[in-house]
Amino acid sequence: MSTPARKRLMRDFKRLQQDPPAGISGAPQDNNIMLWNAVIFGPDDTPWDGGASSDVDNYKTIDCKLYGWLHESHTCHNLLAYSLEHSKQRAVYRTFKLTLQFTEDYPNKPPTVRFVSRMFHPNIYADGSICLDILQNQWSPIYDVAAILTSIQSLLCDPNPNSPANSEAARMFSENKREYNRRVREIVEQSWTAD
Amino acid sequence: MDSEDEMAAMMEDSNDDEEFYVGGGGYGDDDSDSDGVVMDYDGFMDHDSDDSDDLSSSHLHYHHRSQNYTILDEDDIRQCQEESITKISTVLSISRVAAGILLRHYNWSVSKVNDEWFADEEKVRKTVGLLENDSPLPDVKELTCGICFETYPRDRMSAAACGHPFCVICWQGYVGTAINDGPGCLMLRCPDPSCGAAIGQDMVNKLASNDDKEKYNRYFVRSFVEDNRKTKWCPAPGCEYAVDFVVGSGNYDVNCRCSYSFCWNCVEEAHRPVDCGTVSKWILKNSAESENMNWILANSKPCPKCKRPIEKNQGCMHITCTPPCKFEFCWLCLGAWTEHGERTGGFYACNRYEAAKQEGAYDDAEKRREMAKNSLERYTHYYERWATNQSVKTLLAMLGLFWFTGLDFLFGYLNIFFGLFYSISYEQQILLEKLSDIQCQPESQLKFIVEAWLQCFILDALYILRYAEYLSALFVNLIVECRRVLKWTYAYGYYLPENEHAKKQFFEYLQGEAESGLERLHQCAEKEFQVYLNSEGPSKDFNEFRTKLAGLTSLFSVSVDIFCQQLIGAGVTKNYFENLVRALENGLSDVDSDAVCRQAGSSKNVGSGSGKGRGGKGKGPTSRSNSSRNIDDSTHWSCEYCTYANVRSPTVCEMCQQRR
Repeated sequence: MSTPARKRLMRDFKRLQQDPPAGISGAPQDNNIMLWNAVIFGPDDTPWDGGASSDVDNYKTIDCKLYGWLHESHTCHNLLAYSLEHSKQRAVYRTFKLTLQFTEDYPNKPPTVRFVSRMFHPNIYADGSICLDILQNQWSPIYDVAAILTSIQSLLCDPNPNSPANSEAARMFSENKREYNRRVREIVEQSWTAD
Repeated sequence: MDSEDEMAAMMEDSNDDEEFYVGGGGYGDDDSDSDGVVMDYDGFMDHDSDDSDDLSSSHLHYHHRSQNYTILDEDDIRQCQEESITKISTVLSISRVAAGILLRHYNWSVSKVNDEWFADEEKVRKTVGLLENDSPLPDVKELTCGICFETYPRDRMSAAACGHPFCVICWQGYVGTAINDGPGCLMLRCPDPSCGAAIGQDMVNKLASNDDKEKYNRYFVRSFVEDNRKTKWCPAPGCEYAVDFVVGSGNYDVNCRCSYSFCWNCVEEAHRPVDCGTVSKWILKNSAESENMNWILANSKPCPKCKRPIEKNQGCMHITCTPPCKFEFCWLCLGAWTEHGERTGGFYACNRYEAAKQEGAYDDAEKRREMAKNSLERYTHYYERWATNQSVKTLLAMLGLFWFTGLDFLFGYLNIFFGLFYSISYEQQILLEKLSDIQCQPESQLKFIVEAWLQCFILDALYILRYAEYLSALFVNLIVECRRVLKWTYAYGYYLPENEHAKKQFFEYLQGEAESGLERLHQCAEKEFQVYLNSEGPSKDFNEFRTKLAGLTSLFSVSVDIFCQQLIGAGVTKNYFENLVRALENGLSDVDSDAVCRQAGSSKNVGSGSGKGRGGKGKGPTSRSNSSRNIDDSTHWSCEYCTYANVRSPTVCEMCQQRR
């Protein structure tokens, strides 16, 4: 049975595979196309990028972890290739995991997106929910999964302290940038070890 | 006919007292034209009776007050909407759909739309989403939908004025979802986030399902009332009317066609003489937890150990808190029980407390408790009286029903006689025979006369009954209205500042007078009319029939008399209430402290007497004539029947024309 929502989701997935935007990947779970797992790379030259590491083992580690997460070997392969290609022999890009829950109203209604990894960001709640306008009232049926993930990625570096989901992070971002960056790096490291 | 003459005479009197009978009721339907004539007179309902044609203007002399509000039903709303759209559409030379969108955006204010449009058309177009040109779809055989990314032939695609193409299936989903999300669908824009082209009713009609179209239409009509600052829905449950109000004099009372009266400003029930701010404070206070907290503070003490509030309702001073606390202490001084006992004065007193009180150690807590108690008592005093009047209103509504039922019963009774009389021909025959014997006239002529006479009588009786129904409706409504005013005076009294003693005394005096007037009206309504409800069923015996008929005639004339007097009495009370309302609205600014103290002193005597029930016809205790309404007894006198305080005429009451 193929409802408009499912048809559209299949098309989104195909597009994501054929023409993936930089630093983003996602795939539906095996038995449920309405629930997706996705990863976002921390943007370059930001505290979110996880620092440098030239350890080859780490690459392998990423490979296994991402594989486990995404359940799609060819996607993993792509990611690995990507990370190797763009690593410039230094960075292991830090990845952040998310889930996207779709409904039969898609694309007329937005999915529910939340971070699985622990985040420290002014617009991300403690439970991982994201405060983003296109996911609420500014949603349009034209946005697809790639667009959603891209805008979340740009949100990481451009928070909006006026609608704080995490008041501590928002305050720190406005007042003490260095402390904020330090906390971000800390959390990136923590989640890394927690994997 | 005697009854007819009396009826005519009474109506002549009524014409003179025009001020009172102005509430002629709204005859005929309220047209969709906004100049509909609906009577607006405080305290009188809009009596929209269909059979009002009988009571036409030839008998009742009502005048039109300048109306500051109009009642609109759904058709009226639609019509107003259409008119506004037509106006804008012609003046601005745009389509009706575009005009509709514009108007909705500017809250249905035609003047605002005109101002903004001619000030900066570009800006308006951009804000509202009205594009100048209508871009057609690209002229290719097939197009790709921007939502589902499938390709379809050109005729299965559609676009707004911006030209962004989407397939009709996706359009239906998009519009349907928006409509199901609520009235936000009226501000729908193109799905493309960078484009703000507005989607109007024409596109919705083209692309949505029938159910959704219906829903959209309903939201559109409702928007005229909800987005428009000049109209509001009537808050009565189940009422579908809206009220268009012209803000002017400051009196916001509105009588809806469904007979519910409310204040247009705050959409609560009508609450003269208090202002809207006080009303909302009062309602908040009634519902808020603050009073509960006050009660707890006033009537309970916290356990010294676990701090939970404890109320002591009997027994000795040795308190053991409930588990898990189980702390034992003395209620009086809240100290541990282990230090109490015989030494400290026994189990019912507490030396330590007395000593401590003398030292002033417990003053603060005690003071707080005292204050809480006092404020609670004061609030309870006013609240109870307010609430009683609230429930009295339902009693009154039932009373009104009771009264109407009585009238209906009489009406039915009369109908039965009417039918009976014409169906029982032999009685007619007997009557004719008897009459022809008496009158020595031929039967045929008599028959004609008798029949004509009977018809006239029946019709007159019907007429009288209708009129009586109408008057009694006014009467009952007057009582309801006075009750409502009285209820809100209690809220007013609560918010009077404590230190203004003169005002307070004057206020309480006014209130007392109002209450006693109202009690009298109540007595009239309940007692007097009881008598006329004891009717027996129709009888076949002609003699009984004749007596009954005669009885009915006199009954009607007498009841009309009673009505008259009661209504005059009601008119006096009504005037009095109007004065009270006006005085309170002026903030009791015209208070003369000397006069007040004198009046207040004697009002105490009257106040205690007014609580007891009195007979209806104003046979009040003679202390009334000494009442503080007359400052100087020698030039004023109170009529015994209607209690009007006569000044000018020495022997005949001005109001009810009774001799002194």
